[in-house]
Amino acid sequence: MSEGIGASVKRKEDRKFLTGKGRYTDDINRPGQVHAHFLRSDVAHANIKSINTKAASAAAGVVAVYTGEDIDVGGPICGWVVPNRDGSATHEPPHPLLAKGKVRFVGDAVAVVIAESLQQAKSASELVEVEYEELPAVVDLETASAGAEIHEGMAENRYFDWELGDEEATDKALKSASRVVKLTVRNNRLVPNPMEPRAALAEYDDLNDSYTLYTTSQSPHLTRLVLAAFMFQIPESKIRVVAPDVGGGFGAKIYVYVEEAVCTWASKKIKRPIKWTADRTQAFLTDAHGRDHINNVQLALDSNNKIIGLRVDTLANLGGYLSAFAVAVPTYLHGTLLSGLYDIPAIYTNVKGYATTTTPVDAYRGAGRPEATYLLERVIDQAAREVGMDQAEFRRLNFIPKDAFPYQTAVALQYDTGDYEPALDKAMEMIDYKNFESRRSEASKRGKYRGIGVSSYIEACGIAPSAVAGALGGRVGGWESASVRVDPTGTITVTTGAHSHGQGHATTFAQIVTEKLGVPNSSVELVHGDSDRSPFGMGTYGSRSLAVGGVAISKALDKVIEKSKKIAAHLMEASADDVEFKEGKFTVSGTDKETAFGEVALAAYVPHNYPLETLEPGLEETAFYDPMNFTYPAGTHIAEVEVDPTTGVVEIVDWAACDDFGNLINPMIVEGQVHGGIAQGIGQALLENAHYDENGQLLTASYMDYCMPRADDLPSFKVECTNTPCTHNDLGVKGCGEAGAIASPPALINAIINALSPLGVSDMSMPATPETVWRAIQNAQARAAE
Amino acid sequence: MYSTKIVKAENSSAAVQAIGSSKEGKILAGGMTLIPTLKQRLANPDCLIDISGCGLEGVEDKGSSVRIGAMTKHAAVAESSLVAKAIPALADLAGGIGDRQVRNRGTLGGSVANNDPAACYPSAVMALDGTVHTNKRDISADDFFKGMFETALEEDEVIEAVSFKKPEKACYMKFPNPASRYAMVGVFVAKFSDGVRVAVTGAGEEGVFRHSDLESALSSNFSEEAVSGVEVSSDGLMSDIHASADYRANLIGEMTKRAVSS
Amino acid sequence: MEIKESYDLPLPIETVWQALNDEGFLKNSIPGCEKLERISPNELSAEVKLKIGPMSTRFKGKVNLSDLNPPNGYTISGSGTGGIAGAASGSAKVSLSKMEDGEGTILSYQVKAEVKGKIAQLGSRLIHSTAKKLAKKFFSNFVQELAK
Repeated sequence: MSEGIGASVKRKEDRKFLTGKGRYTDDINRPGQVHAHFLRSDVAHANIKSINTKAASAAAGVVAVYTGEDIDVGGPICGWVVPNRDGSATHEPPHPLLAKGKVRFVGDAVAVVIAESLQQAKSASELVEVEYEELPAVVDLETASAGAEIHEGMAENRYFDWELGDEEATDKALKSASRVVKLTVRNNRLVPNPMEPRAALAEYDDLNDSYTLYTTSQSPHLTRLVLAAFMFQIPESKIRVVAPDVGGGFGAKIYVYVEEAVCTWASKKIKRPIKWTADRTQAFLTDAHGRDHINNVQLALDSNNKIIGLRVDTLANLGGYLSAFAVAVPTYLHGTLLSGLYDIPAIYTNVKGYATTTTPVDAYRGAGRPEATYLLERVIDQAAREVGMDQAEFRRLNFIPKDAFPYQTAVALQYDTGDYEPALDKAMEMIDYKNFESRRSEASKRGKYRGIGVSSYIEACGIAPSAVAGALGGRVGGWESASVRVDPTGTITVTTGAHSHGQGHATTFAQIVTEKLGVPNSSVELVHGDSDRSPFGMGTYGSRSLAVGGVAISKALDKVIEKSKKIAAHLMEASADDVEFKEGKFTVSGTDKETAFGEVALAAYVPHNYPLETLEPGLEETAFYDPMNFTYPAGTHIAEVEVDPTTGVVEIVDWAACDDFGNLINPMIVEGQVHGGIAQGIGQALLENAHYDENGQLLTASYMDYCMPRADDLPSFKVECTNTPCTHNDLGVKGCGEAGAIASPPALINAIINALSPLGVSDMSMPATPETVWRAIQNAQARAAE
Repeated sequence: MYSTKIVKAENSSAAVQAIGSSKEGKILAGGMTLIPTLKQRLANPDCLIDISGCGLEGVEDKGSSVRIGAMTKHAAVAESSLVAKAIPALADLAGGIGDRQVRNRGTLGGSVANNDPAACYPSAVMALDGTVHTNKRDISADDFFKGMFETALEEDEVIEAVSFKKPEKACYMKFPNPASRYAMVGVFVAKFSDGVRVAVTGAGEEGVFRHSDLESALSSNFSEEAVSGVEVSSDGLMSDIHASADYRANLIGEMTKRAVSS
Repeated sequence: MEIKESYDLPLPIETVWQALNDEGFLKNSIPGCEKLERISPNELSAEVKLKIGPMSTRFKGKVNLSDLNPPNGYTISGSGTGGIAGAASGSAKVSLSKMEDGEGTILSYQVKAEVKGKIAQLGSRLIHSTAKKLAKKFFSNFVQELAK
């Protein structure tokens, strides 16, 4: 069917968005609503000596002013912890909703002013007097352990010190290696920058003693759970969380932040709806940042250039407070991916997570996996260079062979399936790898250095198998729910706990229904984003919506079909075992009897002729699905660049991506996801960097200084797929949301190093800005002249 | 933003009068810098004087020069066939400022009066031996720009137009700041019968400036080789998180070469 | 960031030193200074209006004189908050020495500056140039005042 699985159906939701008719949190207004403005710390680290809110409280239009001392509920919690090497637990310092006694980053919320208008709230906030006793800022990750104490009693500013793998075996491999390739890389800090900043509109219902929170969330149910059970300690049923249209998230909208919680808390105090919407600079200062690792990497090779061991020592900057999944990102989403798609017998990693007086750091598109892929693909590239092998062939030599699946890595994961060479071959063909050298010499005649860079990646998606997550420190499950309601007329309403904020769920999920029930896409309505309207769900992140949420829909549809067959059997006076269902029709094998799906639906609700003694009326089923394993999308991206040595400008001249996402439901949407991911990866590699000065001031807090990728920074991408279907879910799907952001940074940096290697350049930091590249060229030329 | 009063002036003398009677009035031209500043509450003028109705728009051919009204939008300069014919480099410059939205609001006079150290227009005024016409007087480019965000304009003075001399040949080369797309270095080279003028924007700590070494080298030999022979010093150049003074010095040389050879 | 400059002054070192400790001289020298009052021998309260391009903010704060080594120099530091704009602070280590001819004085300074809050977040590209410019203005105003 042309609207079923595998069809590039145009996105159902785009008409609304493209015509400006989306309904976002800030578009919603409630009668009697007032506005909140947060007064934020403009120092990175200080004791609060006093806060005087008297003048602000008396200012025009002000309804209430609160500080940390007024708040009587708990703050954000940590959703994942790991054991330290010495057996002790992750340090989880409290994170108050409004600063209490101390501020720990520029942007830390100190007070909230609630007024009739936003302008009145802003004006009154200027009257709040805060006296700070400044403390030394802790900004540099490498010296954070020696910095001023940020959290009381937390030694060396360290949240955790975790390890994975076999240290003894790895060190033995390093000792016996015929070559050890060493590399230190820094994964630059990024600001997520979804197009829509965070917002909240909280309303308290005095009659029912309950709250409704409209907010920009990737996971409304989790927001409800955290607010009710951990912060407010009230029955979960007393909070409804609605995440209406949400303009992008990239990870930053998974967590419950202080602003949303303060608005909810205060709505009961003042008994009026409270709205807050971040402006862009608040988003820069307070949305959880991404990445910010330093990795020391050692790769052991034997005399045949086979990898025999890998050791990675990582420092992770987690900022002033521990965000919800901050611990998981550099540990289980990073350490477990260090085998990449290579057969590495011994791996050991140690990760130390530090507090600094900067914005908290958490998951950002890819979350841990881009960092793992970056260090691995950089060191692999360097290894190939050092041993004088072609970068693609070195990878091929070390790939996990096709017949080795399921493959148990040295870092806990078991890859169910994969076949890595076809994607490498395809990408090489797409970019015409074999004729690269002639393009390089042609470019050099024009005074340009041309380079080609390969990145072969794997990721663990479909987060997460609950048993695995639980064993590794996760405090939540990783399943997803769906319910399918067949209306009497045969139209379908699907509710899901997954949340679409750009992914196109309304289209993709409808295609699954079309494929299974044979109804047209237009008969399928998707409901999501409202904790009162869908069964409990876990939300959207970690490329999980289809691989977990989509599979839950598929399972609910199977239940619908199973029941429908019984109804159809009754209608056709046959045995249910003989009823077949195909393309919307029930038939009885060996007869010409048939009945349409719509007839069955009607019979379920108008049960005049119905097996009421054995079957309930109605046709509505719910399924919960918890995956048995992660899914493992993998592939190869190849970038080709030209560097202008006079300015250091890098032009991306070609890009080939070949990914194995398993089965595709909507190839067009998949391609869009790959494009977006690559764009963000190029942003990281060339343009983006959160820059703090030594006092902890964020100097890149607007688009004047923080460089987002624009369309004219990007080439046309060539995107293709291979397919080894996932073996353990019904749809054979793997997830595609993060792949582009994971694969692309090392491809690009490797291409730049490849371009400049004739000059003797062997390292390049991110972002590779024009000046960074120009300096590398200058230094190489100076070395050559010596 | 803080609340303020907007006065719509009918001509420039009314605008000057309105400024005089305000405590801390500000002229509102295109508002591309002023409005964002007000939204951030980083200024609190008691009065904004909107000069969009003062009849200061338009492009005129004055024989040896082109006169452009202060309120002429960047897009209008970029699309003007008169400018394209007389000084194509000026049309190019205007077409490369900001984005489409900015070009349809931002004005020549606003840019010149603000004298942002990374703005494009001041380099054109400087290199094309321009004259700034105010309600009071004519000010030559060399006397007009007084350092970062500072000009010779007095409190009771409004720019009405700017004249640009027609060169034999001219070119503006901008190396944009990747984030803001303002000039990280912008070099405007203009060749006249009596010599070459080279103005640099985006790089100097004191804003736009003429590069005398490059001017004299190019005046005697208008070629890339002549530029290569000049050692561009980093003294007095800006250093920020985007580019060091050294790198800016390199870009001045490179952008000049490209302007000369284009 | 650090900024260094020096001036040759045709005045005896004692005169220059006195001026450096005179609030009248200082008030006329600090760019945009609207108020400067001595609250203790080495501490003054200040109000400064700073205009950078379209931005215009009033900073309220203190000026401190420290490391006094008459007549060879001191450190003058100021810090102030500009409300919503954030805060700024700066210090200049000022050294005076006799010129070789014995008549004049060499005034040299080394400036450090820091900004916080919105001005750091939105105006980073201008911080260094502005600090340099303000330091220059302060000392050139000071030299001009002395010449009067």
